[in-house]
Amino acid sequence: MTKPRGRIWLNVVLVLLAALYLYPLFIVLINSVKTFQQIMDNAVALPATPEFDNFILAFTTMAYPRLFLNTLIATTLGTVGVVLLASVAGHKLSRTKTRLSWLVFLVCVAPMMIPFHSYMIGLVKVAKTLHLTNSVWGLGVLYWGLGIPLALFMYHGFVKTIPIELDESAVIDGCGPLRKFFLVVFPLLQPVSVSVIVLNAMWMWNDFLLPLLVVSGNKQALTLQLAAYNFFGQYKVEWHLAMAAVLLTILPAIVFYLALQKHIMKGMTAGAVKS
Amino acid sequence: MVAFKKRVSRGVEFAALTFPALLAIVVVVLVPFGMSIVYSFSKWNGLDKVPVFNGLANYVELFTNDPALLAALGFTLLFTLALVVLVNLIALALALALDQPLRGKNALRAAFYVPNIISLIIIGYVWRFIFSKGFDTFSAMTGWPLFQASWLGDPALAFVSTVLVSLWHDLGFYLVIYLAGLQTIPRDLIEASLIDGAAPLQRFSKIVLPLLMPSVTVCVFYALSNGLKTFDVILSLTNGGPGNATTSIALDIYTTAFGQGRFGYGMAMSVLLFLLILGITLFQVTVFKNREVES
Repeated sequence: MTKPRGRIWLNVVLVLLAALYLYPLFIVLINSVKTFQQIMDNAVALPATPEFDNFILAFTTMAYPRLFLNTLIATTLGTVGVVLLASVAGHKLSRTKTRLSWLVFLVCVAPMMIPFHSYMIGLVKVAKTLHLTNSVWGLGVLYWGLGIPLALFMYHGFVKTIPIELDESAVIDGCGPLRKFFLVVFPLLQPVSVSVIVLNAMWMWNDFLLPLLVVSGNKQALTLQLAAYNFFGQYKVEWHLAMAAVLLTILPAIVFYLALQKHIMKGMTAGAVKS
Repeated sequence: MVAFKKRVSRGVEFAALTFPALLAIVVVVLVPFGMSIVYSFSKWNGLDKVPVFNGLANYVELFTNDPALLAALGFTLLFTLALVVLVNLIALALALALDQPLRGKNALRAAFYVPNIISLIIIGYVWRFIFSKGFDTFSAMTGWPLFQASWLGDPALAFVSTVLVSLWHDLGFYLVIYLAGLQTIPRDLIEASLIDGAAPLQRFSKIVLPLLMPSVTVCVFYALSNGLKTFDVILSLTNGGPGNATTSIALDIYTTAFGQGRFGYGMAMSVLLFLLILGITLFQVTVFKNREVES
């Protein structure tokens, strides 16, 4: 609503601000292609000739493919489980109007009010007892319980906006409740599913504390975030390799974000405003 | 008989469809949380099969004989206050600016959002590099005291650093929510105020802000609970230091339980954190909800 000239100034100021905002990441980028000595001499100068050896060295010392695969397994297993279990249960609870159904719903969403740090100690004990520790598959399964409450809440609310006739329109003979759900109802829930997938995938990919608690004992089960933690935790940080490692670690999330930007923005807002 | 059979099969279907989700939640969240409450009244090193119950001893120690926790509590509350105020004011101002018809609007929004897609643990390390090597270079180039200061070594400055770095990471998230909120304000109300000749500041305080209150409630809620839970960025940026100047409650719980092996005491701390967050956010939501208006 500002006057045209004011708007041009606003535009210029915002572009400068955005550039300044991203400058720290630019510093990481330029230092990832410099030698250790060049970084020590001047950490903000552009490299005379970019050295891509850092990436090769970081890639191999981190055992990047293994880490990438581990993180992908935990994220995928976690996200798929959350979507399937929460959609089935959320729909059923929303459609069943009994006192028991309401009670189950409350028990399922109450954990949204409990901070992770308030039960993480007990969770480690439970995970050990169930043999879910030191494995990326176990990590993925643990994410179900953490992710379902918000997802179920979102599905439960959305189902109310779908006319019940749509659910019942296609009761095919001899078609069990689960098949009916995935053939008829699940496609209708797509907008929520997209939000749930985006929210959970971004969170699980970037999560640090749960992996630290349950898989850090097994070198074969480390995730990208844990590896970054170990990389920087060393006494003398080799900054040139560390900067390359940072970029390798954040690259998948950046690609995911650029590819699905619109859905991510919508999903983030939906998840935030609904809870 | 037929009716009875139908009721049974309906009950079986209900159980089969809802039980898996319920089981996952009970096992992963509710049982561990129950353990936190029960074992918070015990002395337990995590290895012994049976904890030794000691009544209220942990809670008495918590409130009367744990200066480190008191310091962590103070840091966490101050950190949260600073973050809530700054992140909301800046995100709201930025959202108002980005809501204007500008060139490259989407690219600008994306730019401010980028730090939010990077994990907090990485963010902490990136800034540790900037504060050390980056500032060394800046200081050599400019000689400004700003770059010579010890941003992670001085207790007061380390506090400022944790707030600024968290702010840098979180801002995009709140920006997106405020932008979405601004979209819901009816254009005709804005136009009516233009015709009536309302000044920009008046329009903001009398029309935009009241209609934006639902977004404010949500954003303050998130900033509060994220601030009170802060952990990752502290661990990677300052590791709670210098000394324990930037140790948050969550980090204190982590080191008490997994570093010192005092699980029972750590659980008492985690119950305290739960009550703290619940109390503060419930109070906030109640107060803020009362200020929301219908358009």
